[in-house]
Amino acid sequence: MTPRDVVRVGLVVFAFVVVQQTLMLDLRVGGVHPDIMILLPIVAGLVGGPGRGATMGFGAGLVADLFLPTPFGLSALVGCVIGFGVGVATLALDRSAWWLPPVAALGGSALYEVLYAVLGSLLGQPQMLHVALLQIVVVVSVVNAALALPALRMVAWALAKASIEGMPTSAVASSGTR
Amino acid sequence: MAMPRRSRRPRTTLLVLVLAAVTIITLDARGGFHVITSGVKSVAADAFAPVRSGVNDIIEPIGSFLAGSVHYGAVRQQNQKLQAEIGRLKRQISSQSDAEQAMKQLSTLLNLPFLANLQTVPAEVTNYGTSDFAATIDISVGRDDGVQLNMPVVGSGGLVGQVVQANHHTATVRLITDGQSSVGVRYGPPPGLLAVLTGEGSAKPLGADLVPSNTPLTNGEQFTTSGLQGALYPAGIPVASVITSKTGATASQESVTLHPLADLAHLRYVSVVLWGPSS
Repeated sequence: MTPRDVVRVGLVVFAFVVVQQTLMLDLRVGGVHPDIMILLPIVAGLVGGPGRGATMGFGAGLVADLFLPTPFGLSALVGCVIGFGVGVATLALDRSAWWLPPVAALGGSALYEVLYAVLGSLLGQPQMLHVALLQIVVVVSVVNAALALPALRMVAWALAKASIEGMPTSAVASSGTR
Repeated sequence: MAMPRRSRRPRTTLLVLVLAAVTIITLDARGGFHVITSGVKSVAADAFAPVRSGVNDIIEPIGSFLAGSVHYGAVRQQNQKLQAEIGRLKRQISSQSDAEQAMKQLSTLLNLPFLANLQTVPAEVTNYGTSDFAATIDISVGRDDGVQLNMPVVGSGGLVGQVVQANHHTATVRLITDGQSSVGVRYGPPPGLLAVLTGEGSAKPLGADLVPSNTPLTNGEQFTTSGLQGALYPAGIPVASVITSKTGATASQESVTLHPLADLAHLRYVSVVLWGPSS
Protein backbone atom coordinates (compact mmCIF):
# COMPACT_ATOMS: atom_id res chain seq x y z
CA MET A 1 0.00 0.00 0.00
CA THR A 2 1.22 3.47 -0.83
CA PRO A 3 1.05 6.36 1.68
CA ARG A 4 -1.89 7.64 -0.36
CA ASP A 5 -3.78 4.37 0.18
CA VAL A 6 -3.02 4.50 3.90
CA VAL A 7 -4.40 8.05 4.10
CA ARG A 8 -7.53 7.01 2.20
CA VAL A 9 -8.12 3.99 4.43
CA GLY A 10 -7.55 6.17 7.49
CA LEU A 11 -10.11 8.70 6.24
CA VAL A 12 -12.70 5.99 5.63
CA VAL A 13 -12.14 4.40 9.05
CA PHE A 14 -12.36 7.84 10.69
CA ALA A 15 -15.64 8.57 8.85
CA PHE A 16 -17.07 5.26 10.07
CA VAL A 17 -15.99 5.99 13.66
CA VAL A 18 -17.63 9.44 13.54
CA VAL A 19 -20.92 8.03 12.21
CA GLN A 20 -20.83 5.13 14.70
CA GLN A 21 -20.10 7.35 17.70
CA THR A 22 -22.73 9.96 16.81
CA LEU A 23 -25.65 8.80 14.65
CA MET A 24 -25.55 5.08 15.40
CA LEU A 25 -25.31 5.40 19.19
CA ASP A 26 -28.50 7.49 19.16
CA LEU A 27 -30.30 5.13 16.79
CA ARG A 28 -31.58 2.43 19.13
CA VAL A 29 -34.07 -0.32 18.43
CA GLY A 30 -35.25 -1.94 21.66
CA GLY A 31 -32.13 -0.68 23.42
CA VAL A 32 -29.79 -2.09 20.75
CA HIS A 33 -27.76 0.20 18.52
CA PRO A 34 -26.31 -0.67 15.09
CA ASP A 35 -22.57 -1.31 14.66
CA ILE A 36 -21.31 -0.16 11.30
CA MET A 37 -17.64 -0.74 12.18
CA ILE A 38 -18.33 -4.41 11.36
CA LEU A 39 -19.03 -3.40 7.75
CA LEU A 40 -15.41 -2.41 7.18
CA PRO A 41 -13.84 -5.92 7.22
CA ILE A 42 -16.84 -7.36 5.37
CA VAL A 43 -16.71 -4.97 2.42
CA ALA A 44 -12.89 -4.95 2.46
CA GLY A 45 -13.06 -8.74 2.11
CA LEU A 46 -15.43 -8.31 -0.84
CA VAL A 47 -13.38 -5.59 -2.54
CA GLY A 48 -9.84 -6.63 -1.73
CA GLY A 49 -9.99 -10.34 -0.95
CA PRO A 50 -9.21 -12.32 2.23
CA GLY A 51 -5.89 -10.61 3.02
CA ARG A 52 -7.28 -7.07 2.81
CA GLY A 53 -10.40 -8.13 4.67
CA ALA A 54 -8.32 -9.54 7.53
CA THR A 55 -6.05 -6.48 7.68
CA MET A 56 -8.98 -4.06 7.63
CA GLY A 57 -10.74 -6.14 10.29
CA PHE A 58 -7.71 -5.98 12.57
CA GLY A 59 -7.07 -2.25 12.10
CA ALA A 60 -10.68 -1.09 12.24
CA GLY A 61 -11.28 -3.47 15.16
CA LEU A 62 -8.46 -1.94 17.20
CA VAL A 63 -9.86 1.54 16.52
CA ALA A 64 -13.36 0.37 17.51
CA ASP A 65 -11.95 -1.18 20.70
CA LEU A 66 -10.74 2.27 21.79
CA PHE A 67 -14.37 3.25 22.38
CA LEU A 68 -15.69 -0.03 23.82
CA PRO A 69 -15.77 -1.30 27.41
CA THR A 70 -15.32 -4.92 26.26
CA PRO A 71 -11.82 -6.56 26.23
CA PHE A 72 -9.32 -4.54 24.19
CA GLY A 73 -8.39 -6.47 21.03
CA LEU A 74 -11.56 -8.56 20.85
CA SER A 75 -13.06 -6.55 17.95
CA ALA A 76 -9.70 -6.80 16.16
CA LEU A 77 -9.63 -10.59 16.59
CA VAL A 78 -13.19 -11.15 15.40
CA GLY A 79 -12.83 -8.52 12.66
CA CYS A 80 -9.81 -10.12 11.02
CA VAL A 81 -11.45 -13.57 11.08
CA ILE A 82 -14.70 -12.27 9.56
CA GLY A 83 -12.90 -10.13 6.94
CA PHE A 84 -10.84 -13.13 5.89
CA GLY A 85 -13.90 -15.39 5.92
CA VAL A 86 -15.97 -13.07 3.73
CA GLY A 87 -13.05 -12.74 1.31
CA VAL A 88 -12.66 -16.52 1.01
CA ALA A 89 -16.38 -17.31 0.91
CA THR A 90 -17.04 -14.91 -1.96
CA LEU A 91 -13.99 -15.72 -4.09
CA ALA A 92 -15.94 -18.05 -6.35
CA LEU A 93 -18.98 -15.77 -6.63
CA ASP A 94 -19.82 -13.13 -9.20
CA ARG A 95 -18.74 -9.97 -7.39
CA SER A 96 -20.62 -7.71 -9.78
CA ALA A 97 -23.95 -9.14 -8.53
CA TRP A 98 -25.92 -6.33 -6.85
CA TRP A 99 -27.20 -8.62 -4.12
CA LEU A 100 -23.80 -9.85 -2.95
CA PRO A 101 -22.77 -6.91 -0.69
CA PRO A 102 -26.08 -6.77 1.25
CA VAL A 103 -26.16 -10.56 1.65
CA ALA A 104 -22.50 -10.68 2.71
CA ALA A 105 -23.15 -7.83 5.18
CA LEU A 106 -26.21 -9.62 6.58
CA GLY A 107 -24.47 -12.98 7.06
CA GLY A 108 -21.08 -11.53 8.01
CA SER A 109 -22.58 -9.22 10.65
CA ALA A 110 -24.64 -12.04 12.20
CA LEU A 111 -21.57 -14.30 12.38
CA TYR A 112 -19.49 -11.45 13.78
CA GLU A 113 -21.89 -10.79 16.66
CA VAL A 114 -22.21 -14.47 17.58
CA LEU A 115 -18.44 -15.01 17.43
CA TYR A 116 -17.89 -11.81 19.43
CA ALA A 117 -20.22 -12.99 22.21
CA VAL A 118 -18.77 -16.52 22.30
CA LEU A 119 -15.12 -15.37 22.33
CA GLY A 120 -15.94 -12.65 24.88
CA SER A 121 -17.48 -15.21 27.23
CA LEU A 122 -14.44 -17.47 26.78
CA LEU A 123 -12.23 -14.50 27.71
CA GLY A 124 -13.82 -14.07 31.12
CA GLN A 125 -16.88 -12.02 30.19
CA PRO A 126 -19.67 -14.62 30.59
CA GLN A 127 -22.34 -11.90 30.60
CA MET A 128 -21.72 -11.39 26.88
CA LEU A 129 -23.73 -14.55 26.20
CA HIS A 130 -26.56 -13.41 28.47
CA VAL A 131 -27.51 -10.35 26.45
CA ALA A 132 -30.39 -10.21 23.97
CA LEU A 133 -28.13 -11.76 21.33
CA LEU A 134 -30.88 -12.47 18.79
CA GLN A 135 -32.05 -8.87 18.95
CA ILE A 136 -28.49 -7.59 18.55
CA VAL A 137 -27.89 -9.91 15.58
CA VAL A 138 -31.11 -8.80 13.85
CA VAL A 139 -30.64 -5.04 14.37
CA VAL A 140 -26.94 -4.99 13.45
CA SER A 141 -27.31 -7.33 10.44
CA VAL A 142 -30.31 -5.55 8.91
CA VAL A 143 -28.82 -2.06 9.28
CA ASN A 144 -25.47 -3.24 7.87
CA ALA A 145 -27.20 -4.94 4.92
CA ALA A 146 -28.97 -1.66 4.17
CA LEU A 147 -25.71 0.30 4.32
CA ALA A 148 -23.56 -2.28 2.51
CA LEU A 149 -23.54 -0.61 -0.93
CA PRO A 150 -22.44 2.89 0.19
CA ALA A 151 -19.89 1.28 2.52
CA LEU A 152 -18.58 -0.82 -0.36
CA ARG A 153 -18.14 2.28 -2.54
CA MET A 154 -16.16 4.03 0.19
CA VAL A 155 -13.87 1.06 0.85
CA ALA A 156 -13.45 0.44 -2.90
CA TRP A 157 -12.29 4.06 -3.23
CA ALA A 158 -9.85 3.60 -0.34
CA LEU A 159 -8.44 0.34 -1.71
CA ALA A 160 -8.55 1.35 -5.37
CA LYS A 161 -4.79 1.26 -5.86
CA ALA A 162 -4.10 -1.54 -3.43
CA SER A 163 -3.05 -4.92 -4.80
CA ILE A 164 -5.78 -7.53 -4.57
CA GLU A 165 -4.48 -10.74 -3.10
CA GLY A 166 -5.69 -14.28 -3.31
CA MET A 167 -8.40 -13.52 -5.83
CA PRO A 168 -9.07 -15.01 -9.24
CA THR A 169 -8.42 -12.71 -12.18
CA SER A 170 -12.12 -12.45 -12.99
CA ALA A 171 -12.88 -11.30 -9.47
CA VAL A 172 -10.18 -8.64 -9.63
CA ALA A 173 -11.59 -7.36 -12.90
CA SER A 174 -15.15 -7.17 -11.60
CA SER A 175 -14.20 -5.47 -8.33
CA GLY A 176 -12.18 -2.93 -10.26
CA THR A 177 -15.28 -1.82 -12.13
CA ARG A 178 -16.96 -0.54 -8.98
CA MET B 1 -11.58 -24.68 -17.10
CA ALA B 2 -8.40 -24.06 -15.12
CA MET B 3 -8.85 -23.25 -11.41
CA PRO B 4 -7.53 -19.84 -10.42
CA ARG B 5 -4.22 -19.95 -8.56
CA ARG B 6 -4.38 -18.37 -5.12
CA SER B 7 -1.57 -17.04 -3.00
CA ARG B 8 -0.94 -18.44 0.50
CA ARG B 9 -0.13 -14.94 1.71
CA PRO B 10 -3.65 -14.09 2.97
CA ARG B 11 -3.59 -17.14 5.26
CA THR B 12 -0.23 -16.07 6.68
CA THR B 13 -1.61 -12.55 7.14
CA LEU B 14 -4.62 -13.94 9.02
CA LEU B 15 -2.43 -16.09 11.24
CA VAL B 16 -0.17 -13.17 12.14
CA LEU B 17 -3.13 -10.88 12.85
CA VAL B 18 -4.94 -13.48 14.98
CA LEU B 19 -1.78 -14.04 17.01
CA ALA B 20 -1.31 -10.28 17.40
CA ALA B 21 -4.92 -9.82 18.55
CA VAL B 22 -4.71 -12.71 21.04
CA THR B 23 -1.44 -11.26 22.39
CA ILE B 24 -3.03 -7.83 22.85
CA ILE B 25 -6.07 -9.32 24.63
CA THR B 26 -3.86 -11.43 26.91
CA LEU B 27 -1.51 -8.56 27.79
CA ASP B 28 -4.47 -6.24 28.42
CA ALA B 29 -6.03 -8.75 30.81
CA ARG B 30 -2.78 -9.27 32.72
CA GLY B 31 -2.55 -5.83 34.31
CA GLY B 32 0.63 -4.00 33.27
CA PHE B 33 -0.32 -3.49 29.63
CA HIS B 34 -3.83 -2.44 30.70
CA VAL B 35 -2.40 0.87 31.97
CA ILE B 36 -1.19 1.57 28.42
CA THR B 37 -4.46 0.58 26.70
CA SER B 38 -6.46 2.52 29.29
CA GLY B 39 -4.26 5.57 28.63
CA VAL B 40 -4.70 5.24 24.86
CA LYS B 41 -8.47 4.87 25.32
CA SER B 42 -8.49 7.98 27.47
CA VAL B 43 -6.54 9.98 24.86
CA ALA B 44 -8.90 8.75 22.10
CA ALA B 45 -11.99 9.67 24.13
CA ASP B 46 -10.61 13.16 24.90
CA ALA B 47 -9.60 13.73 21.28
CA PHE B 48 -12.93 12.51 19.96
CA ALA B 49 -15.19 14.40 22.40
CA PRO B 50 -15.10 17.72 20.44
CA VAL B 51 -15.64 15.85 17.14
CA ARG B 52 -18.69 14.07 18.57
CA SER B 53 -20.06 17.31 20.00
CA GLY B 54 -19.44 19.19 16.71
CA VAL B 55 -21.07 16.51 14.57
CA ASN B 56 -24.10 16.36 16.88
CA ASP B 57 -24.44 20.16 16.62
CA ILE B 58 -24.47 19.86 12.82
CA ILE B 59 -26.76 16.84 12.59
CA GLU B 60 -29.56 18.10 14.85
CA PRO B 61 -30.49 21.22 12.77
CA ILE B 62 -30.24 19.21 9.51
CA GLY B 63 -32.62 16.60 10.94
CA SER B 64 -35.06 19.31 11.99
CA PHE B 65 -34.82 20.96 8.55
CA LEU B 66 -35.48 17.69 6.71
CA ALA B 67 -38.42 16.89 8.95
CA GLY B 68 -39.82 20.36 8.23
CA SER B 69 -39.37 19.90 4.45
CA VAL B 70 -41.29 16.66 4.43
CA HIS B 71 -44.26 18.31 6.11
CA TYR B 72 -44.10 21.35 3.80
CA GLY B 73 -45.04 19.48 0.66
CA ALA B 74 -47.66 17.32 2.29
CA VAL B 75 -50.30 19.77 3.46
CA ARG B 76 -52.06 22.92 2.32
CA GLN B 77 -51.13 26.35 3.57
CA GLN B 78 -53.89 26.56 6.16
CA ASN B 79 -53.18 23.09 7.43
CA GLN B 80 -49.50 23.95 7.53
CA LYS B 81 -50.13 26.89 9.78
CA LEU B 82 -52.36 24.86 12.05
CA GLN B 83 -50.01 21.93 12.15
CA ALA B 84 -47.06 24.20 12.80
CA GLU B 85 -48.98 25.74 15.68
CA ILE B 86 -49.92 22.32 17.03
CA GLY B 87 -46.32 21.16 16.62
CA ARG B 88 -45.02 24.24 18.41
CA LEU B 89 -47.41 23.70 21.30
CA LYS B 90 -46.54 20.01 21.48
CA ARG B 91 -42.85 20.82 21.49
CA GLN B 92 -43.47 23.40 24.16
CA ILE B 93 -45.31 20.84 26.31
CA SER B 94 -42.69 18.19 25.59
CA SER B 95 -39.86 20.61 26.29
CA GLN B 96 -41.55 21.75 29.51
CA SER B 97 -42.08 18.16 30.60
CA ASP B 98 -38.47 17.38 29.65
CA ALA B 99 -37.21 20.35 31.62
CA GLU B 100 -39.38 19.40 34.59
CA GLN B 101 -38.00 15.87 34.52
CA ALA B 102 -34.42 17.18 34.33
CA MET B 103 -35.11 19.64 37.15
CA LYS B 104 -36.64 16.87 39.26
CA GLN B 105 -33.59 14.63 38.77
CA LEU B 106 -31.20 17.49 39.52
CA SER B 107 -33.01 18.65 42.66
CA THR B 108 -33.23 15.07 43.90
CA LEU B 109 -29.49 14.69 43.36
CA LEU B 110 -28.83 17.76 45.50
CA ASN B 111 -30.59 16.18 48.46
CA LEU B 112 -29.63 12.54 48.55
CA PRO B 113 -30.01 11.62 52.23
CA PHE B 114 -27.83 8.53 52.02
CA LEU B 115 -24.72 10.47 50.97
CA ALA B 116 -24.42 12.32 54.33
CA ASN B 117 -21.20 14.36 54.19
CA LEU B 118 -19.67 12.68 51.16
CA GLN B 119 -18.49 15.05 48.44
CA THR B 120 -20.05 14.61 45.00
CA VAL B 121 -19.67 15.95 41.47
CA PRO B 122 -22.87 16.27 39.41
CA ALA B 123 -22.68 15.00 35.83
CA GLU B 124 -24.86 14.78 32.76
CA VAL B 125 -25.31 11.42 31.06
CA THR B 126 -24.01 11.91 27.51
CA ASN B 127 -24.28 8.39 26.09
CA TYR B 128 -26.08 5.18 26.89
CA GLY B 129 -23.35 2.63 26.30
CA THR B 130 -21.08 2.26 23.30
CA SER B 131 -21.43 -1.54 23.22
CA ASP B 132 -24.50 -3.74 22.99
CA PHE B 133 -22.61 -6.30 25.10
CA ALA B 134 -22.07 -4.18 28.22
CA ALA B 135 -24.28 -1.98 30.41
CA THR B 136 -22.39 1.31 30.65
CA ILE B 137 -23.03 5.04 30.41
CA ASP B 138 -20.77 7.95 29.49
CA ILE B 139 -20.88 11.04 31.72
CA SER B 140 -19.76 14.64 31.26
CA VAL B 141 -17.14 14.85 34.02
CA GLY B 142 -13.65 13.39 34.19
CA ARG B 143 -10.27 13.53 35.89
CA ASP B 144 -10.18 17.35 35.69
CA ASP B 145 -13.28 17.40 37.91
CA GLY B 146 -11.72 15.06 40.49
CA VAL B 147 -13.23 11.86 39.11
CA GLN B 148 -11.04 8.79 39.47
CA LEU B 149 -11.22 5.14 38.59
CA ASN B 150 -13.59 2.99 40.72
CA MET B 151 -15.48 5.92 42.27
CA PRO B 152 -19.15 5.17 43.02
CA VAL B 153 -21.86 6.87 40.97
CA VAL B 154 -25.36 7.49 42.36
CA GLY B 155 -28.62 8.76 40.94
CA SER B 156 -31.97 9.66 42.40
CA GLY B 157 -33.04 6.51 44.21
CA GLY B 158 -29.72 4.85 44.82
CA LEU B 159 -26.55 3.35 43.43
CA VAL B 160 -26.00 3.58 39.66
CA GLY B 161 -22.56 2.02 39.21
CA GLN B 162 -18.84 2.60 39.29
CA VAL B 163 -16.37 4.59 37.18
CA VAL B 164 -14.40 2.15 34.98
CA GLN B 165 -12.71 4.66 32.66
CA ALA B 166 -11.75 8.20 33.68
CA ASN B 167 -10.71 10.56 30.87
CA HIS B 168 -9.83 14.26 31.18
CA HIS B 169 -13.34 15.63 30.68
CA THR B 170 -15.51 12.51 30.47
CA ALA B 171 -15.83 9.13 32.17
CA THR B 172 -17.43 5.75 31.57
CA VAL B 173 -19.56 4.19 34.29
CA ARG B 174 -20.33 0.48 34.55
CA LEU B 175 -23.95 0.11 35.66
CA ILE B 176 -24.84 -2.28 38.49
CA THR B 177 -26.86 -4.32 35.97
CA ASP B 178 -23.75 -5.13 33.90
CA GLY B 179 -22.69 -8.77 34.06
CA GLN B 180 -19.26 -7.77 35.41
CA SER B 181 -20.72 -5.81 38.33
CA SER B 182 -20.93 -7.12 41.89
CA VAL B 183 -21.88 -5.03 44.93
CA GLY B 184 -21.39 -6.01 48.58
CA VAL B 185 -24.68 -5.32 50.40
CA ARG B 186 -26.40 -5.54 53.77
CA TYR B 187 -30.06 -6.42 54.38
CA GLY B 188 -32.49 -7.27 57.14
CA PRO B 189 -32.74 -5.80 60.67
CA PRO B 190 -29.54 -4.19 62.06
CA PRO B 191 -26.72 -5.04 62.06
CA GLY B 192 -27.96 -6.88 58.95
CA LEU B 193 -26.84 -9.87 56.96
CA LEU B 194 -24.30 -9.65 54.17
CA ALA B 195 -24.77 -10.63 50.52
CA VAL B 196 -23.44 -9.79 47.08
CA LEU B 197 -25.65 -8.41 44.30
CA THR B 198 -24.63 -9.36 40.78
CA GLY B 199 -25.59 -7.82 37.45
CA GLU B 200 -27.36 -10.04 34.94
CA GLY B 201 -27.30 -7.72 31.93
CA SER B 202 -28.85 -4.47 30.80
CA ALA B 203 -32.55 -4.05 31.73
CA LYS B 204 -32.56 -7.35 33.64
CA PRO B 205 -33.16 -7.74 37.40
CA LEU B 206 -30.15 -8.16 39.70
CA GLY B 207 -29.31 -11.51 41.27
CA ALA B 208 -28.10 -12.13 44.84
CA ASP B 209 -25.36 -14.43 46.13
CA LEU B 210 -24.77 -15.59 49.71
CA VAL B 211 -28.39 -15.26 50.87
CA PRO B 212 -28.93 -18.42 53.01
CA SER B 213 -31.88 -20.65 52.16
CA ASN B 214 -35.18 -19.94 53.92
CA THR B 215 -34.17 -16.36 54.74
CA PRO B 216 -37.39 -14.43 55.33
CA LEU B 217 -37.45 -11.68 52.69
CA THR B 218 -40.41 -9.49 51.84
CA ASN B 219 -41.11 -7.97 48.45
CA GLY B 220 -39.77 -4.42 48.33
CA GLU B 221 -37.19 -5.02 51.08
CA GLN B 222 -34.17 -2.81 50.41
CA PHE B 223 -30.54 -3.87 50.16
CA THR B 224 -27.92 -1.19 50.89
CA THR B 225 -24.14 -1.13 50.36
CA SER B 226 -22.31 -2.90 53.18
CA GLY B 227 -19.29 -0.59 53.43
CA LEU B 228 -17.10 -3.36 54.79
CA GLN B 229 -13.39 -2.63 55.03
CA GLY B 230 -11.93 -2.54 51.54
CA ALA B 231 -15.41 -2.40 49.94
CA LEU B 232 -15.80 -0.63 46.62
CA TYR B 233 -18.69 1.51 47.88
CA PRO B 234 -19.31 3.56 51.06
CA ALA B 235 -21.87 2.14 53.49
CA GLY B 236 -25.58 2.85 53.40
CA ILE B 237 -26.28 3.61 49.72
CA PRO B 238 -29.59 1.99 48.69
CA VAL B 239 -28.98 -0.44 45.81
CA ALA B 240 -32.04 -2.55 45.04
CA SER B 241 -35.32 -3.89 46.36
CA VAL B 242 -36.55 -7.50 46.38
CA ILE B 243 -38.88 -8.59 43.56
CA THR B 244 -38.99 -12.33 44.18
CA SER B 245 -37.36 -14.79 46.58
CA LYS B 246 -37.67 -18.54 46.81
CA THR B 247 -35.70 -21.52 48.06
CA GLY B 248 -35.44 -24.78 46.14
CA ALA B 249 -35.88 -28.08 47.99
CA THR B 250 -32.17 -28.87 47.99
CA ALA B 251 -30.73 -25.39 47.49
CA SER B 252 -28.20 -23.99 49.94
CA GLN B 253 -29.01 -20.43 48.89
CA GLU B 254 -32.16 -18.42 48.43
CA SER B 255 -32.86 -17.49 44.82
CA VAL B 256 -33.50 -13.74 44.88
CA THR B 257 -34.18 -11.23 42.12
CA LEU B 258 -33.99 -7.50 42.79
CA HIS B 259 -34.94 -4.27 41.05
CA PRO B 260 -32.36 -1.42 41.05
CA LEU B 261 -33.68 1.54 43.05
CA ALA B 262 -32.16 4.10 40.66
CA ASP B 263 -34.08 4.39 37.38
CA LEU B 264 -31.23 3.16 35.17
CA ALA B 265 -33.28 3.33 31.97
CA HIS B 266 -33.98 7.07 32.23
CA LEU B 267 -30.81 8.57 33.70
CA ARG B 268 -30.24 12.22 32.76
CA TYR B 269 -28.07 13.37 35.64
CA VAL B 270 -25.99 11.45 38.15
CA SER B 271 -23.51 12.27 40.91
CA VAL B 272 -20.02 10.87 41.17
CA VAL B 273 -19.13 10.30 44.83
CA LEU B 274 -15.56 11.47 45.43
CA TRP B 275 -14.78 8.43 47.53
CA GLY B 276 -12.32 5.56 47.33
CA PRO B 277 -11.84 2.48 49.50
CA SER B 278 -9.04 4.31 51.35
CA SER B 279 -11.23 7.36 52.14
